[in-house]
Amino acid sequence: MCKDESQLIAKAKAGNKEAFSELVEKYQKPVFSVCYRMLGTPTAAEDAAQEAFIRAYQALDRYDPERSFATWILSIASNYSIDQLRKNKVTILSMDSDKHAWLAPPDPGPSPEKAALDKEKNALVQTILADLTETDRAAVILQYWHDYSYEEIAETLDLSSSAVKSRLFRARKLMAEKWQEMQLISAPNVNSAAKRIAHETSTI
Amino acid sequence: MKHQQYENWILMDEELNQEQQRDLHGHLKQCSQCQALYQASHQITHLFKTAPEPALAAGFSGRWLVQIDKAEKRKNRIILFSTLGAIALATLILFSTVGLELRSVVGNFPQMMFELVTLITNWIIFYNQISDIITPLFRVGAKLLSPIWLYITVFGLSGITAAWTISYYRSRSMQKELN
Repeated sequence: MCKDESQLIAKAKAGNKEAFSELVEKYQKPVFSVCYRMLGTPTAAEDAAQEAFIRAYQALDRYDPERSFATWILSIASNYSIDQLRKNKVTILSMDSDKHAWLAPPDPGPSPEKAALDKEKNALVQTILADLTETDRAAVILQYWHDYSYEEIAETLDLSSSAVKSRLFRARKLMAEKWQEMQLISAPNVNSAAKRIAHETSTI
Repeated sequence: MKHQQYENWILMDEELNQEQQRDLHGHLKQCSQCQALYQASHQITHLFKTAPEPALAAGFSGRWLVQIDKAEKRKNRIILFSTLGAIALATLILFSTVGLELRSVVGNFPQMMFELVTLITNWIIFYNQISDIITPLFRVGAKLLSPIWLYITVFGLSGITAAWTISYYRSRSMQKELN
């Protein structure tokens, strides 16, 4: 942890909200990203990310400075998202449904083709993650999008390293099966997006 | 080697040595099931790595400052109301306990409450009457005497009262000894 960060944490512990808001500024993207991948919608992700930072600020007295702040804050965000999924049974959106067409990222990029591709990819991601259990989904998100090691995932989700290993193994198997199923079903947008990914990987 | 081992190699996120890699690729050429699993696994990884990151609406930390203020106010309200609730509950328990204790002495609860109100009223009347006597006395005394004389008078009267009380108790104890 850098000196600036530990100073900000010390100030925030003393009740300085402005100091903590600098930490919010620094970690807002990864926290929002975890919440978005977990919950599937930008609105739910924004609410969850805000709540995660509020909880972190209120629990700052219990923060162990020996631990990475990034891991700690992502742990709060992941666990809050897991709780939200369990409580509200937030439905991870399926790409087959037209009513979920707004799932595309807020900034669609320069061209309509790129925007359409991004939208398809995000919808595919959510469809694949939908069948995983809440904790498995969090483990997958931390590994694929945040490059966390087994140990870091274990620390974040309060699991053992071997449990993380077996959860990720099971999750990869389920996702691969889902992917193979999706390539067989007839939904045209599923086929086009999945085929595009297949083509991209074959050309790499 | 068993089929399960190749599945583990595909799905475990671990580096394979050169021999294991050769072995796996040899198996993939023969086994369509493992080949499909291998491709699916790679395509998913590629999808996850290339899926666009969600854009965060500007002003997130500013909105957080507003939210934390609201959350703190909510927390303070909860603390205040739970404290008031606890005090009210404690008072209720205290009054109920005292009431039940006194009921056996006084008779019944309405009568006890009546006695309590009478007692409080009498004390207020008594205080007012004493105050009516003492206040003008002090006012007149303050006008007639300088402050030093007022102190001497007050301490003198207190001393006389204390001396009288002591002598009274001594005479009583001597009386008891003589009897």
